[in-house]
Amino acid sequence: MPLTSAVRAFRRDPAVMVAVVALWALLATFVVYPLATLLVRVFIDKGAFSASGLISVITDRHQIVAFWNSLLLAAIVGVGGTLIGFLFAFTATRARLPRWLLTVVDASVLLPLVSPPFTTAIAMIFSFGPRGLITYELLGLKGVTVYGLASTAFSEILTYFPIAYLTLKPLLAGIDSNVEGMAHSLGAARWRVFRTVTLPLTVPGLANAFLLLFAASLADFATPLILAGNQFPVLPTQAYLQITGLFDLRGGAALSFVLLFPALAVFLLQRYWVSRRFYVTVTGKGAGQAPFDSVSPGMRALLLAACALIALVIVYFYALLAYASLVKALGADHTLTLAHYRVIFTEGLKAIRDTLIIAGLAMPLGGIYGILLGYLVTRHSFAGRRTMELTSMVNYALPGTIVGIAYLIAFNDPPIELTGTALLIVACYVFRYGPTGIRATVALLQQIDRSLEEASTGLGAGSGTTFRRVTLPLIVPAFFAGLGVVFIRSMTAISATIFLVSISWTLITVKILENMTELALGPAAAFSVLVVAIVFIVIALIGRLLRAFRSPGVGQVTSLLGG
Amino acid sequence: MAPTVNDGRTIGLRVDGVSKRYVHRVKGAVYAARDVRLDVAPGEFVTLLGPSGCGKTTTLRMIAGFEKPDGGRIRFGGDDVTELPANRRDIGFVFQNYALFPHLSVRENVAYGLEVRGLSAAEIARRVADVLELVGLAGYEHQFSAQLSGGEQQRVALARAIVIRPRVLLFDEPLSNLDARLRVQMRTEIRELQRRLAITTVYVTHDQEEAMAVSDRIAVMNRGSIVQEGSAEDLYYRPASEFVATFIGRVNLLAGRVLSADRSGASVSVLGATLRAGAGSGPWAAGSAVKLVLRPEAIELRRAGETPIAATVESRAFLGEKAEYQLRCGGERLQAVRYESAANAHPAGATVSIAIPEDTIVLLPAEAS
Repeated sequence: MPLTSAVRAFRRDPAVMVAVVALWALLATFVVYPLATLLVRVFIDKGAFSASGLISVITDRHQIVAFWNSLLLAAIVGVGGTLIGFLFAFTATRARLPRWLLTVVDASVLLPLVSPPFTTAIAMIFSFGPRGLITYELLGLKGVTVYGLASTAFSEILTYFPIAYLTLKPLLAGIDSNVEGMAHSLGAARWRVFRTVTLPLTVPGLANAFLLLFAASLADFATPLILAGNQFPVLPTQAYLQITGLFDLRGGAALSFVLLFPALAVFLLQRYWVSRRFYVTVTGKGAGQAPFDSVSPGMRALLLAACALIALVIVYFYALLAYASLVKALGADHTLTLAHYRVIFTEGLKAIRDTLIIAGLAMPLGGIYGILLGYLVTRHSFAGRRTMELTSMVNYALPGTIVGIAYLIAFNDPPIELTGTALLIVACYVFRYGPTGIRATVALLQQIDRSLEEASTGLGAGSGTTFRRVTLPLIVPAFFAGLGVVFIRSMTAISATIFLVSISWTLITVKILENMTELALGPAAAFSVLVVAIVFIVIALIGRLLRAFRSPGVGQVTSLLGG
Repeated sequence: MAPTVNDGRTIGLRVDGVSKRYVHRVKGAVYAARDVRLDVAPGEFVTLLGPSGCGKTTTLRMIAGFEKPDGGRIRFGGDDVTELPANRRDIGFVFQNYALFPHLSVRENVAYGLEVRGLSAAEIARRVADVLELVGLAGYEHQFSAQLSGGEQQRVALARAIVIRPRVLLFDEPLSNLDARLRVQMRTEIRELQRRLAITTVYVTHDQEEAMAVSDRIAVMNRGSIVQEGSAEDLYYRPASEFVATFIGRVNLLAGRVLSADRSGASVSVLGATLRAGAGSGPWAAGSAVKLVLRPEAIELRRAGETPIAATVESRAFLGEKAEYQLRCGGERLQAVRYESAANAHPAGATVSIAIPEDTIVLLPAEAS
């Protein structure tokens, strides 16, 4: 029976069936298969089931410490980042900022999001290291050590709080100001309105932001690698060292498997618990009425000052990075020079070229993958539809370390031998970051009435034509959002792909890390500046394209990096 | 050979015992449509009328092919289209929200179905120009839907549906987003256009006045089934159930008991008097409980004592060409509508007597409540 119904479905809609089968084949190859191989590697030894590898990891005192360290760091980053994100979001939506100031806020928040993950870490070392601009030059302190929990947490909070900002801002903006005004008119003072109305309505968003930040920190590999030092080992770096330092693939796999549990727990909590508890529907539209004057002038000044301080730290970090790339040796010799750029454009040229080729390939593929899968799972019913959506989210939700190790193990041997190829890195990016496009597509499609597609079908168009001529033009913004994210992450990511680079194909981010370990801080800074510059140019181009494509009535994606 | 309906007409559309089930979270399996049967003659305009949730839209969407029935067949002319997807049924569908493609201009919206059919550019241009002329939108070719008024959007949706010369034209509450005045104007336009093009049409609405204004025939639906079909007059003057009687027009429903009955009619005890009613759907057994359907305009007001049924005027509302009365009569409240001169008005508090002509009363079996 299922076979005949499948045949009938194929006859009714061959295009959809072909796409579904093709997507399942890809998901099976690049999501299910690597993860399965990872599990096999952890639990099967010499053809028999054995938990010994896992047990030796989870009983190792050093690794237990790393596990709790990871959770502690993630919790601190979750709380800190959510607080700062809320501060920015509340200020942006409630403090009646002039337009230009809002742009400044948005830009300073965007900066950490589009940078390689360890730019703040590098800037931390420049500022607070043994020869740091602040610790050594300014305060004259000697023998200061920057490594450890505090600096790692600080750096990660600055890097990831924009995620909280982007989650909370539409939520706060979406609260009907009449509700706050009503509470005010019933006699509640501003602070009471905030405490009894605004804050409770934001609680699910806060929980959501916390979990997202928790997951981001849990998965972060680059920051602790540079800043945590020996005193504060965390799981992702331990797994990396196990593999690259000790060549112990099985041990690395076991460590990443341990990391899987908190990551999975957070993902499920976020998806099935928090996301169902939203009171405020985010429509992207403002409430329309005159906003409730929820912030007193004094409070407004305070909020602005706090935001300005944080924005200043960010701007200072990036300025410092740019400066470091232009002087001989920051902290020692401040003579202006282009030597570092000469280095990256000669010795580093291959990495730049490889990265651009890989990002250039991953971008369109990831964009197409995102809208195709997003469209199919929202607009067509077929067996396994929800499973497909969930499967597509797996590589996105898992820490990059796990994905990287899984890919390394899976594609090292036949039947699918891809180690060392650009294809492997491209596939990793497509299936890891393409899901942003899926989410954007799903969100946009939910705002587009189904009758539009039915109108097309009624007029005689098949599903292929309907998709191409009606749906696609309407979800173009989601397509570009997907493109943008895949490109940005292809330029900046390291946690998964550090396991996948080879002599033939390498990446800028990996080069930066190499420079850092060789203490070639100048070229590292120059590379970072280059990446930020390229990413900003591409974002600007995509923004322009989006405007060109925006015809009347077509929905908008609130932010390039939202969702 | 196209199949024929009972009276020998050929068939434009046949809905043959179609059902649609869905699973409700609380109620379990629910029928959205249950064994729906409907024949529409070629060029006929049939309206599915009913309250929300009665299954009319589900039925329409099954005719279109947007929903697949769980049972039953759908035929266009002699062809069974049940298994055909919507894009191969040659339908014109007008949505409640118009569903105009927001990224396409008026011309592109209307040309869409023709392009899908692979017509030549010249032919498309000609037909688009013709149909825009027909719906009064010549000159709007390059506008986008966001720039159009509700009525104009409605016309574009209509043009887009008819330009492909569909076998069946389907409307899903097309006027509900328009203001009252425009609604009346558009329904006249739709009706005239449909007559001119002679397209077999099914129209869904919950507005009985709209249904009566546009349709050749109305099928009243309730709880997933068609409960009665016929002309507007049939439904109004000869309702087959309390539901139809109360849904179409205003009505006084009175409980009565049959005293005696013969071929030509029945004598009914009601309002403390004996009224004579036409046979209707009888025969009626003496002593059986019945419901009397009295339309407000059928109740005649006389001076007190002229008839055996006395009533008190509780209120009178003057509405221009007519007046509405609330009457109290033997413990029942009655509403009456009179077209009367001021001289014949009965003020509130007045005692009157009422007369009800025999042929205006419809008897229904009393339903178990």
